[in-house]
Amino acid sequence: MSYYPFGGSSQTVNQQNVAMAEQELEMVTDTFYRIVDSCYKKCIPPKYIEGDLNKGESVCIDRCVAKYFETTTKIGEALQKKGQQATPGFGV
Amino acid sequence: MDFSMYNDAEKAHIQRIIEQKQMRDFMKFYTNLVERCFNDCINDFTSKALSSKEETCISRCSDKFLKHNERVGQRFAELNQQIMQQQQQQQQQPPFSPSSPPPQQKGGGGWFGGS
Repeated sequence: MSYYPFGGSSQTVNQQNVAMAEQELEMVTDTFYRIVDSCYKKCIPPKYIEGDLNKGESVCIDRCVAKYFETTTKIGEALQKKGQQATPGFGV
Repeated sequence: MDFSMYNDAEKAHIQRIIEQKQMRDFMKFYTNLVERCFNDCINDFTSKALSSKEETCISRCSDKFLKHNERVGQRFAELNQQIMQQQQQQQQQPPFSPSSPPPQQKGGGGWFGGS
């Protein structure tokens, strides 16, 4: 039974699905902000000689983001391995 | 992100959540930027007005941060896309994690599930 009247749809909202989407969204944006923060700290010296990103800063940012991703993947894999050994069902 | 696996009612619901989140995120972004540039640019309290030097610094700082944010966003989207494609290929095989078997997770995989 839908409590969403619009569209005349008889589709039901599965709260679990919505929660899953929300969690995923939260994870994506949280990670994004963390990357922005970390890479800013590591790549942008707080001497604001210009408002543009210079070549060195740009290259640094590209590499920084790639490395952050790789780090995430590596740690994810390690956690998963651990989880599978110890408590089956502790997937990430 | 890809929400194609949800039905219309759920999509509408999710859309509302996204809009609320965007507002909150914007406020967070704004206060974060102010804090950053204030800390980096303002260190002299012999006057209560911003000096022209400080103003220049603030303007460059916010310019730079916005550009930084944009560039990270581009790379983020690209890498996320890559991971998603890899996961889709892997999904032909048994599921990735036993605890959260993706129900009908078409394109929703990846540790980010798309951009």
